[in-house]
Amino acid sequence: MEIEKKAPPPLLMSQREGRLVRLMGMAGEGLLFLVASLSVFAVLFIFYFIVRDALPFIKGDYIGEFFSNSKWYPTHEPPVFGALSILYGSLIVTIGSCVVAIPLGVCSAVALSDIIPFSWRQGIKPIIELLASIPSVAYGFFALVVFAPVMQSHGGTLLVVGFLIIGAPVLGIASLLVGDMLSDRFGDSNSGISWALIPGAASLAILVLVSWYLGGIQIISGTNALNVSVILGIMALPTIVSVSEDALQAVGPELRMGSYGLGATRAETLVLTVLPAASSGIMAAVILGIMRALGETMVVWMASGNAAIIPDPFYDFLSPVRTMTATIAGEMGETARGTQHYSVLFMCAFCLLIFCFICNLISEQVMKRNRMKLRGEI
Amino acid sequence: MRNKIMSVVAAAAVAVSGMFFSGAANADEKIVIEGSSTVGPIAKQFAEFFMDKNKGVNITVNESGSGNGAKALISGKCDIATMSRFMKEKEFKAAAGSGKMPVAHAVAMDGIAVVVNPANPVGKLTLEQIHDIYAGKVNNWKQVGGVDMPIVIISRDTSSGTYETFETKVMHKDPIASGVETVGSNGQMRARVQSTKNAIGYVGLGFVDKSVKAVLVNNIPATKSSVASGVYPIARPLFMFTDGYPKPGSTVFRFITMYLSKDGEAIIERIGFVPLTAYKK
Amino acid sequence: MNLNSRKVIDGSFTAFSGFSIAVMGIALVVLLGPIISKGIGAYIFKGTVEHREVMLDLFQRGNKKEIAREENAVQKARAPLYQAIDAFSSELEDLKKNNPAQGYALEADFAEFNKSVFKLLGPRPGQPEPQLQRDRFGQTRWDGALHVLGQAVNVESWDYSEGMGKKVFKPRAEMYKGTKLEPVFTQYLSEDYARKMLEPEWTFYYGFFTDVSYDAHFFGGLWPEVLGTLYLTFGAMLLAIPAGIIAAIYLVEYAGDTKLVAFIRSCISTLAGVPSIVFGLFGLACFIMDDSWFQISRTASVAAGSATLALLVLPTIIRASEEAIRAVPSSYKEAAMGLGATKWKTVASIILPAALPGILTGIVISMGRAAGETAPIIFTAAVTVGKPLGLDQIFSQPTPALPWNLYNLCTEHEAVDEIRHVQYGMAFTLLAIVLALNFSAICLRARIAKKLRG
Repeated sequence: MEIEKKAPPPLLMSQREGRLVRLMGMAGEGLLFLVASLSVFAVLFIFYFIVRDALPFIKGDYIGEFFSNSKWYPTHEPPVFGALSILYGSLIVTIGSCVVAIPLGVCSAVALSDIIPFSWRQGIKPIIELLASIPSVAYGFFALVVFAPVMQSHGGTLLVVGFLIIGAPVLGIASLLVGDMLSDRFGDSNSGISWALIPGAASLAILVLVSWYLGGIQIISGTNALNVSVILGIMALPTIVSVSEDALQAVGPELRMGSYGLGATRAETLVLTVLPAASSGIMAAVILGIMRALGETMVVWMASGNAAIIPDPFYDFLSPVRTMTATIAGEMGETARGTQHYSVLFMCAFCLLIFCFICNLISEQVMKRNRMKLRGEI
Repeated sequence: MRNKIMSVVAAAAVAVSGMFFSGAANADEKIVIEGSSTVGPIAKQFAEFFMDKNKGVNITVNESGSGNGAKALISGKCDIATMSRFMKEKEFKAAAGSGKMPVAHAVAMDGIAVVVNPANPVGKLTLEQIHDIYAGKVNNWKQVGGVDMPIVIISRDTSSGTYETFETKVMHKDPIASGVETVGSNGQMRARVQSTKNAIGYVGLGFVDKSVKAVLVNNIPATKSSVASGVYPIARPLFMFTDGYPKPGSTVFRFITMYLSKDGEAIIERIGFVPLTAYKK
Repeated sequence: MNLNSRKVIDGSFTAFSGFSIAVMGIALVVLLGPIISKGIGAYIFKGTVEHREVMLDLFQRGNKKEIAREENAVQKARAPLYQAIDAFSSELEDLKKNNPAQGYALEADFAEFNKSVFKLLGPRPGQPEPQLQRDRFGQTRWDGALHVLGQAVNVESWDYSEGMGKKVFKPRAEMYKGTKLEPVFTQYLSEDYARKMLEPEWTFYYGFFTDVSYDAHFFGGLWPEVLGTLYLTFGAMLLAIPAGIIAAIYLVEYAGDTKLVAFIRSCISTLAGVPSIVFGLFGLACFIMDDSWFQISRTASVAAGSATLALLVLPTIIRASEEAIRAVPSSYKEAAMGLGATKWKTVASIILPAALPGILTGIVISMGRAAGETAPIIFTAAVTVGKPLGLDQIFSQPTPALPWNLYNLCTEHEAVDEIRHVQYGMAFTLLAIVLALNFSAICLRARIAKKLRG
């Protein structure tokens, strides 16, 4: 056997080799950068293509009535493109979903971060993840096939249950607080609970009266703003819970310990100390939740009733409404390119895009400030 | 553990690709049909029947509305455009501009039935009453001889062919009140009217069943014979458009002439439309 | 404030927070309950002999001899029913002559009745084969059969005497009292006898997942939709995974703290916030319109839909991968670098494998998202009715897909109520696919957490 004689590779690269490696490294990094900036191109092209097809409408004769008129007759001769009612529809279901999602979401986040024992948390997290992963069309299917008929047949009961879920705890805590104030003023120092009986009775009366009133309401059509608001609220919950929980966790134990040390109860610590400290993070969570509700298509398309009206009175959640997303989804398939109708749908998309863009910027800024604040840079 | 994951991924990949290839059908001919959701059921049933008889032909039916059907035919994206109205002059011009010659095949007649919930005692309405309800002038059933309850008006999406026919035959170009709910299809309209006691809506004759009640319009019931004889006031022919007259013997030709065959007639009749040959009777 | 009320408030606050978690759990149960319980009914149900015939005729599945034997038995059971009907037909002719008022009234109702029987049992032996597939068989499901049986036995009418109408059921047995049709209602159309005519058995119809559908989902299963969803999902992943992981590697390992990188990051979060319907419009304008530089196909196609979905899930994959790569202990990297590995080599052979489970979790979650999204594919990839596509057709042809067809079946199908079980089955199947993906992601993450804890 002959051992092949070969010079061992030099420890240092030759200058040429070194340059080559450096060059390839740079080329590789450039390639990586290109792929990484795909998202940038995507965003730019989304804006470009949406604006391009919305432009004929913006330049056209109808742009004035788009924001001022509430009549939507896109195929009538002559057409009327008053999107006010549609914008309002998006607004009202978004507000409705916030009413459902924010209290529940923030309370759940508080419970997850501070109240529930750690071992339980691992069991609850998957619930939130499953809620987040259910496809929107399945939510829509539920809203249309299950929820809407129930609403029509048992509308009053549903309203009462919904009202009690939100109203009873709120009024309960309120009457405790009022009772306490009363006892501070009029009674001796240890009779707070008995003083709470007076506002408690008043709240009970309110609960009963309102429930009685709500129980008598007949919901004419189950596909309405309320239906959609509830479902959208549930859809927005996971976002709100997980982002605000992160914000609450980020507050750190020092503040909590300090507050407990001063003798505050857990509720006082959370409401008066932790929540204010996490407020900007919770803001961001709410904004993300709003974006989710506003941009949702299938649920509103299937279950909102799609009537392009401003409800009368304007806070009437039992009236059918139509949102921008549903308008695009419902009408796009049947319009011809090059018409004003086609462009106006892109205009709606443009409005959505701009709104979400702004929301995103705000939430980003808020989160950034939050991070800096927690690091103590402000 | 990593190896395990990798092997699972690999197995999944193999399984999936196997599935894909086994699923790969080699259809030699395809017909793309696009257009009205009213003519859709006819096209779908024809397609089903046709594909059953002619293996190897793949027919896709898309129900995106008459306007879109015309658009697709003009741009060459479909072979057959199903339309619940005749082509507009504008569309003909656009077709001529891109070198297409739309040829109409009237495949069936469709009556639009005005439907209410079966619990509603109102059994007949005049055209004027329907017009006034949809124009928002009448908003309580009491005003048209029913019980005292508000009318929930349900209409179709403004771009559907059914809406257009309703608009021309009933509304005479007056705008429909802005408070109406809109739904996307005949089936959905029926479901809404069925579940809402005080609703009124309109659907193609083919969609009327026991779950809703078709009212008499000007005292004329919406039936196949009243539509075929032209007495029923809200009726229209349904079309399929091709680019040029299809070459006799070609697949498209055989498909589009199905409405003249016995099977075609029976299908049209069965799904609730009126065969054109019923005029002869 | 006094101590007692502070305690009570504290307690009720705790209770309220726990309650809000409970509401979330209840919402999940209420939402999934009906879809799962009724959706399973599309797979497991009491199938009649007609179902087994459908299987044999349309899918060549089942024991031919056994079904022929069953068919014989049920036809024997049905024979007296048909005889009674025929006997009444001739009696009706006499009745129309002797007592026209009753005769003609019954004739109209008799036609209705015959329709119900036809719907229940399908065409009679010897009758020409109907053109529509849905007419070639009787009720395939026992629950459907019971419903039709009710329609055959009772006349449904509305009583308007009190203003609003009330549904009134009038038994046909009374209407036909004394005629030759009467025994039909007293004997043959009872639930027990119907069992003999239809022989219901518990059936597990796995084909609901793997069969093509016939006659607009009256028979068969969801295979074209399932396959379409798989195509769209895997297509989207094929595009999004490499792009997402590479972007994450760049952002974590290469990018500095420059303005440009900050801009890229903010674009990623903007992309994550774009509403899905806007993605749909973008996909239409960018991948399908003739005047676009990126046109993939002239009509909606699987490829165009996949590309749209890929952009939609890109931010999710980037973020998950970024997090996973960041979680790799820096000691790994330092060790590799210390051994003289180049940066790229370190990334490819040390960091990526270590981060793989985390990246996979992100991928699996975004697969669930891509499979369930509807709005982006409405204009770019979806079609109502279609055959399963071959791989060669994905660049030119649209496909049915579970989410879109679920929407379509429950809003636009002409027989919305008759195919409720298919809608539930479809919703269930979609949910099962998406939830299985997410569940595996959850498990995967649990394992990583375990590993990290040692």
